[in-house]
Amino acid sequence: MENAAQSASPQPVPHPLQPLRFNGNGAEYFGIWIVNLLLTIVTLGIYSAWAKVRRLQYFYRHTELAGSSFDFHGSPIRILIGRLIALAMLLAYNVSVRLQSRMILVVVLALAVVMPWLLRNSFRFRLYNTSWRGTRFHFRGSVGGSYRVFLLNGFLALITLYVMAPFMHQRLKQYQHENSWLGRTQCSFHARAGQFYAIYLLLFVAMVGFFILISVTGIGHAFTAVAQMQKQGGHVDTSLVFRTFLILYGTLILIGLVVGPIFHALVTNLIWSNTRIGEHRIECRMSPPALIWITVSNFILVIFTLGLFIPWAAVRLAKFQLESVRLLPASDLQEFEAAEPENIGAVGEEAATVFDFDISL
Amino acid sequence: MLQAHYFDGRSTRLREVSLSIDGTDLIVVGEALDIRLPFADVKVDERLGRAPRRLRFNDGTFCEVRDLHALDALLSSVGHHDRWVDRLQRHVQFVLFSCLACVLLAAAGYRWMLPWAAAKAAQHLPPAMVRELSVHTLNLLDGAILKPTKIAAERQLALSTKFQALRLPEGGNPNSSLLFRLSPQLGANAFTLPDGDIILLDDLITLLGDDEQILAVLAHELAHVRGRDGLQLLLRSSAVGAFWTFYVGDISALLAAAPAAVVQAKYSQDLEQQADDYAAALLRYNGMSPALLAEALKKLAQSKPGSAKSGYLSSHPSTDERMRHLRILAAH
Repeated sequence: MENAAQSASPQPVPHPLQPLRFNGNGAEYFGIWIVNLLLTIVTLGIYSAWAKVRRLQYFYRHTELAGSSFDFHGSPIRILIGRLIALAMLLAYNVSVRLQSRMILVVVLALAVVMPWLLRNSFRFRLYNTSWRGTRFHFRGSVGGSYRVFLLNGFLALITLYVMAPFMHQRLKQYQHENSWLGRTQCSFHARAGQFYAIYLLLFVAMVGFFILISVTGIGHAFTAVAQMQKQGGHVDTSLVFRTFLILYGTLILIGLVVGPIFHALVTNLIWSNTRIGEHRIECRMSPPALIWITVSNFILVIFTLGLFIPWAAVRLAKFQLESVRLLPASDLQEFEAAEPENIGAVGEEAATVFDFDISL
Repeated sequence: MLQAHYFDGRSTRLREVSLSIDGTDLIVVGEALDIRLPFADVKVDERLGRAPRRLRFNDGTFCEVRDLHALDALLSSVGHHDRWVDRLQRHVQFVLFSCLACVLLAAAGYRWMLPWAAAKAAQHLPPAMVRELSVHTLNLLDGAILKPTKIAAERQLALSTKFQALRLPEGGNPNSSLLFRLSPQLGANAFTLPDGDIILLDDLITLLGDDEQILAVLAHELAHVRGRDGLQLLLRSSAVGAFWTFYVGDISALLAAAPAAVVQAKYSQDLEQQADDYAAALLRYNGMSPALLAEALKKLAQSKPGSAKSGYLSSHPSTDERMRHLRILAAH
């Protein structure tokens, strides 16, 4: 396959589409997952950094483009240091939130100031340690750009009651993708804010639909009935309370399992189909119904196996997501050149994982 | 002969090569390539499922190998051994053992390590923090399930005075305040805030009636105050919450935990027994009988089971056992 397009003719020859392939296998990954989990427990969490590297390597190395697999090069020690810093931040945040003291303002402010820098470092670490055919990716976004994207745009989204959120999302992805490089080849990003607004609008309509459904089916009535009983101080019908909670949690889970995947699929398709690596275009066609099915079935199986299904779930999801992506190459993909080596810490990445700020893929 | 892809580490150019072993040297032959190097200088990637493995050379170049069986043959011919983790991950018995061990360790950590860590932390938490936590918890409870008391001010004062006048076996008087509240949901109940203040609910006062029996229940609560048991329980539930937050990523679920943990405080049997022993000692020290607590428990048990009135007992297990134990203590 990789030699199919080695023609040296001056005319542009169409190059074959290169779909991403993922060859991971749940049973195989289960062995790796559980052994590393045990080692993590036995070492009181210290081994988790090594486990993480192995997990990423498992997924990267089973991901194949044009007959060659990706690789992850991150050092476990760096990840461990990053984890410790992230843990300290999480602790500070949790303690201050729980106490609802004046300290919370200081902590949240400090986090807001540090976060953009950390996130930028996290992008750098992740990309620098990713390679394909021995050529590393790079992230070259400036610190200033990161503050603009996260703090300024985040603030704008907040004061406009999130009307600007799709705009912020677009700018964030633009910052991320336009500053990404494969060796010396820069990526570009072509999705416009308007396209993000269209998806967010759809999401908004879906949510409104959900709430109308809830009020029509009389769930709202059940809530007021419970509130009424409590106000009168009399006995509350426990079965009614139980049903109300069941419906409430059911609704939340339904939103997470249906609206979430639809949104994720649409946004991911938009983002990746509008990203190019140099002259090479990318196409992402993730089917929302298929993603809903995978999310729902994974959720149910993970719960009913008390977590033992997690490795299979992760492999299924990765396979589905990765294989919906393909590259439309403008050449035979032999010409990417590596850049100079750089030194990047893992703090940002760990902090970002803990606080879960990565909005998409 | 083993087919592989060779990359120079400086570009994505792919070159088909074949690998072979000559003595202790590795030979790489392919398009414009003829490399010979000692195998000792080659770093071999660990095996991860069926992912291609790389043979990395010192100058940043490497070979990507897909035929894992052929690679195994090549590696064993130069006496290369996989790393121990590598072998464990593929060892079926060890994988099964890991499953079992993970479950057992998680259970053991929850059963022994968590209480131990919570006890240590509870003793060392700064008082200002404990105070703030209590104020926050009380505010939330007052907004939700606690209502102003209907007990007359004189009765409140009388109870508080008697309570404060109790002499503790270890010396001094109770450092806690009594907070009077009414709660239709919680019924006849009393519970301790993290800083040691005790919330006494109206239904408990009306149900027991007798001040000495109320003091007996409070003596039991004082044992929990002394061991900072409530704080320990809170820390434990927070740790469990933090663990799930880490894995599931939902911080909001944690915020609701504190008030719930205080109200539903389910202490272990051992802890309850210790608290009863302390209460008995305290009562005796103040010239009262430990049987008072047994009487109070009996009244609570006799109030219609399943109704809100038995709230205090529902959070305190095995009443029969405890009454018997207290009567024995009283008889001595």
